[in-house]
Amino acid sequence: MTIPILSLSLITLLVGTVACFAAGRWARYVALGTAVAFLVEIGWMISQFTWAGFGPTGVPSYSYGETYAWIHLYWLNINYSVGVDGLSLPLLLLTGILLLVTVVYSWEEKKRPSAWFALVLMTCLGCAGVFMALDVLLFFLFWELVLIPMFFMIAYWGGLRRRYAALKFFVYTHVGSIVMLVSLLVVAFYSHAPSFDFSAMYGPARALALVPQVFLFLAMLFGFGIKFPIVPFHTWLPDAHVEAPTGGSVLLAGLLLKLGAYGLIRWGLELLPQGLLHTQPIIFAVAFASIIWGAFVALGQRDLKRMVAYSSINHMGIVLLAIGLYSSLGITAAVLLMFAHGIVSALLFMVAGSTHHAFGTRDLATIRGITPKTPALATVTMVGALASLGLPALISFPAEFLALLATWDGIGYWVFVPLIMLVVTAGFYLWMMQRMLFGPTSGIPEDAHDLSQWEAAAMAMLVALTILYGVLPGLLTNVIIHSPLFGLP
Amino acid sequence: MTLDPFTTAGLVGLSGALLGIGLFGIVTRRNFILLLVAIEIAINAAVLNFVYFAAFASNPSSGLNGQSAAIVVIGLAATEIAVGLAIVLALNRIRGSINVTEATALKL
Amino acid sequence: MFLQDLASWAFLVPLLMVLSFVLVGFLGPYLKNWREGGWIAVVISGIAMVLGLLIAAGEMLSPGRYTDLHTTWISVPGNGTGVFPNGFSLVMGTLVDPISALMLIVVNVVGFLVLLYSIEYMQHDRGLSRYFAELSLFLAAMNGLILADNLLEFFLFWELVGVCSYFLIGFYYEKPAAASAAKEAFLVTRVGDVLFLLGIFVYFGAYATAGAAGGWAANGFLFVHGTNPYIPIGTGANPTLLTIGGLLILGGAAGKSAQFPLHVWLPDAMEGPTTVSALIHAATMVAAGVYLLAVASLFLGFTAADQFAIVAVGGFTTLFAATMAVVNPDIKRVIAYSTISQLGYMVLAVGAGFTMVGLYHLFTHAFFKALLFLAAGAVIHAVGTQNLFKMGGLRKVMPVTWLAFFVGALSLSGIPPFAGFWSKDDILSSLYGTLGAHPDYWPFFLMAVATVFLTAYYIFRAFFLAFGGDHPRDDSLPHGHDPSWIMKGPLMVLSGLAIFAGVFVFIPGFSNLLPGIGVPPTYTVTDILLSAMSVGLAGLGIGTAYVLWGNGRVFTLPDDSPLQSIRTVLLRRYYIKDAYDAFGQRVIYGIARIADFTDRFVIDGAIHGAERSFAGLNRRMRGIQSGVVLDYTAYVVAGLVVVLVVLLVIAPWLLSMWGGT
Repeated sequence: MTIPILSLSLITLLVGTVACFAAGRWARYVALGTAVAFLVEIGWMISQFTWAGFGPTGVPSYSYGETYAWIHLYWLNINYSVGVDGLSLPLLLLTGILLLVTVVYSWEEKKRPSAWFALVLMTCLGCAGVFMALDVLLFFLFWELVLIPMFFMIAYWGGLRRRYAALKFFVYTHVGSIVMLVSLLVVAFYSHAPSFDFSAMYGPARALALVPQVFLFLAMLFGFGIKFPIVPFHTWLPDAHVEAPTGGSVLLAGLLLKLGAYGLIRWGLELLPQGLLHTQPIIFAVAFASIIWGAFVALGQRDLKRMVAYSSINHMGIVLLAIGLYSSLGITAAVLLMFAHGIVSALLFMVAGSTHHAFGTRDLATIRGITPKTPALATVTMVGALASLGLPALISFPAEFLALLATWDGIGYWVFVPLIMLVVTAGFYLWMMQRMLFGPTSGIPEDAHDLSQWEAAAMAMLVALTILYGVLPGLLTNVIIHSPLFGLP
Repeated sequence: MTLDPFTTAGLVGLSGALLGIGLFGIVTRRNFILLLVAIEIAINAAVLNFVYFAAFASNPSSGLNGQSAAIVVIGLAATEIAVGLAIVLALNRIRGSINVTEATALKL
Repeated sequence: MFLQDLASWAFLVPLLMVLSFVLVGFLGPYLKNWREGGWIAVVISGIAMVLGLLIAAGEMLSPGRYTDLHTTWISVPGNGTGVFPNGFSLVMGTLVDPISALMLIVVNVVGFLVLLYSIEYMQHDRGLSRYFAELSLFLAAMNGLILADNLLEFFLFWELVGVCSYFLIGFYYEKPAAASAAKEAFLVTRVGDVLFLLGIFVYFGAYATAGAAGGWAANGFLFVHGTNPYIPIGTGANPTLLTIGGLLILGGAAGKSAQFPLHVWLPDAMEGPTTVSALIHAATMVAAGVYLLAVASLFLGFTAADQFAIVAVGGFTTLFAATMAVVNPDIKRVIAYSTISQLGYMVLAVGAGFTMVGLYHLFTHAFFKALLFLAAGAVIHAVGTQNLFKMGGLRKVMPVTWLAFFVGALSLSGIPPFAGFWSKDDILSSLYGTLGAHPDYWPFFLMAVATVFLTAYYIFRAFFLAFGGDHPRDDSLPHGHDPSWIMKGPLMVLSGLAIFAGVFVFIPGFSNLLPGIGVPPTYTVTDILLSAMSVGLAGLGIGTAYVLWGNGRVFTLPDDSPLQSIRTVLLRRYYIKDAYDAFGQRVIYGIARIADFTDRFVIDGAIHGAERSFAGLNRRMRGIQSGVVLDYTAYVVAGLVVVLVVLLVIAPWLLSMWGGT
């Protein structure tokens, strides 16, 4: 008998969440244990993919698949159906990693720690579910599940304008969710798929006529796009990030943004390829707008967190571009970039959080020359910024490089747009480092302290991963290519 | 048994008429008890349809589905009346009247 | 045979330096007595140098191309379309061939000497372990770059040396000028990097259309596809794409090698320690641009249009940079401008088709320029200023440094038999030989000739100002003294190389590294006249410098001289840096501010406007919420009617419109 490892890992998180609520001051140990257990389960699957030749065979098929009847009423067939392939497994790994580092980073959370750790676990439960679900309703259930803990994390642990930001976040993403759900349901009903199962919808959805495919794909682009976020529906992101607590920002940038991109690949690109191919100009226009807008607005920011938030918009624009290319290179680049951005943005948001913690402000016009005072924080800041601007031997480089190569492969000289923006991206990170790290010290309090041991431990893990996957990106690409997508024409 | 179009038309017409009477009552009556009576009439329209079409089901088990749905709805209606009358009593005690247009405390 | 087999161990050279980086970086702070790990870096780089020299020796004995260690870095299957129908994989490997062997010698010898010199030079600075770790990382990346066997791997290390340069320029990060210079260097070279990457892509395209993609584009652009000796594989490729690709590669090289118009960062990079200037910004990293052009000319091929562009950029930069060196009061900046100018010579030679001649100059220049920087470093170390007008009379107190600087200056000026003479003379005579076929090269040839005079003038101006006379012009300066043997040793070795490196090519084995250079001279009368002219011009330059600045004289332009305005323009660096700064601060940052404003008030404002209109709608619609149950039931009934109409009338009509089933 095979072990239902996917359900097992979901149950791990579920049990952890409930236990955390009940565990009182032991909650952080429960959370740590849950995170480690979850990582072990995901790591086992990754190792099977990497070394045991596991992976999906045929189109569409998924590894570790489980299907149980859930709601079967007349023609309505809703299943509990989960499975993974090379597309989702790296993102599950990212979920596990970010769960672990968030728990470690917020180890000394003082404000209702049991609720905090439970909400962190619940967010990751939702994300893991989204990455595993192969049924429309199950997917939507997990998708919505993510919103609730994140709403409370912002609204209770957040900054001064936390209520405004939480509500804005909720309303924006909920509008996206509804459009997404409606378009998925229309795909299912309209194509007369026998069930809401991904594999059952696969054939019928692809056989849809061109016009409905185009309209449905556009609806999905909007629905998933708000989570990306795409310009001009992005303004929830900087507000949510600025007001969110550090752990919330880490999960928000590291995981929640990936949900949109993953959903667009899984439910948009795979089900409605003709719709994608015929809306490519729109996708590219939106992607270029996000890339350019994100980079320039980031350059104009004074708040460290806002700057990183806008650089996320820039990076996710590249992800959208890579998805829109509809090629194996592009998809690989997109997934690799999502993973890279998850790690690096998590690191940078931790930096922003610790900066605020140490100096009481994140204003780049105030803090100058922190290196002598807080060398560890300065070092991590530098690694994060250099990784984000695409330094070789750090994780973003292979991802961005593949994305540019795929862009060139797909649409030729348009690659100049993201290439030029690399200079602007480098510009604002270098400017930030020059102001914040170098030069004579000023504007920081006398009693400023360096990273605490837990902050340092969390960041050190991320730095190690940044270097590991930067030097050996093959560890990830060899998993990513185990996807039925790569058999597609 | 097979469906006889004339009987069917009559029966559907009857249940439609019941539903219309019920809805009309619901919209126009201000007395809470009359309101409950109107709701009962509308519900009975649905019950009539369940019972009638269940008799013509192609297989007995789905026929039973219709019958049992009718039983469930009747049970529900009884429950609803019980709750409704309880509300009437409470309303009368608080407001001294059972006119539903006066009970506007739910307004935003 | 033993020495040739060593080529397959070439990967150890960069790996040793990575080891040094890790050891020094992590253990350094705990090894106070070993200069915070500095000695570890020196020893390991010594081993790497010996290995590099042995590999080069093997290459001298049996020249050829040895590729090894192909590991797949990234591999993605293709889906039958685009430029990579069969997928794409990026392999990492080492390629040892004559020119990379030549570079191995340059990088590792200068690297080892500079590290050794730094042991004393840097001893009073804080953060020594950081310094030695970063220099080790730089040497690792630089060795990786010269051993790269495909363009993408080359690009990876290219970026890495750039970031090491960023770290080291900003070594004194508390100084605002250093932090700013580091940022500037990174950004300007980043522009070049972007052009370079696009150039790689365009070359992919050029060869893909030529049908060659199946064989090697899938393998990540291996260099190894030409057959010996060096046949460009551009045959059959789309010439327009080749031209564009060549221009973009030129852009990348211009960024790294500080050629016009991307030259502005190199003089500012002098904010870093002088040792860093010697290694990175004179001998090795800035030469990587020339090496890139050489590699591209050998393996990819340039079109005639590309060649003209390269010659134009190189020739113009040569003269342009030399003019700015003439007036500068800072000893390091004079040498920095001289570096830009000399790199221009190399670019010029490569562009005109004399790749080996360009690399020959790269080889000799690395030694005499590193020597000049290290000698200047000894001066700065002793007197504590970089301002030439405060120095003076150092010959008496620092005889060894004086001699070293003198040798370097003679070599730079191109006085026989010093190293610089041979390579520079080779460039001029080769270029002269092409003038018949390419009359459009004439202006650049003349610029190169004029630069010979300026070069000799500005370097001897610096020499006389620093060492001439009897006493310092600023009495408050500490009295100089020669450094200890740790610094003197590298100076002497480099002096030897600056004298003799030029004639190495006449040694039979060594000449294999620079095919076509080392043949016994068959000088024609023209060649001899040309040599005589360039030596004469250099002598004239030295003489002019002596008349104006020798023996402690200080030449000042009269205030009403028309030359004053020219002097101002030169001191302000032709206002190019000012223009770039203004562009960055006003235009780019202005766009960013406008974008930020738009984002806050227009895009988000629109959202808030929508929110307000919903709120207004809410106020108007709230009347419907009467609280009267009967009203609600009426809405329910109305809703039911709407649903029925949609389901029974509108939906079937829509379905029939879409032609669905």
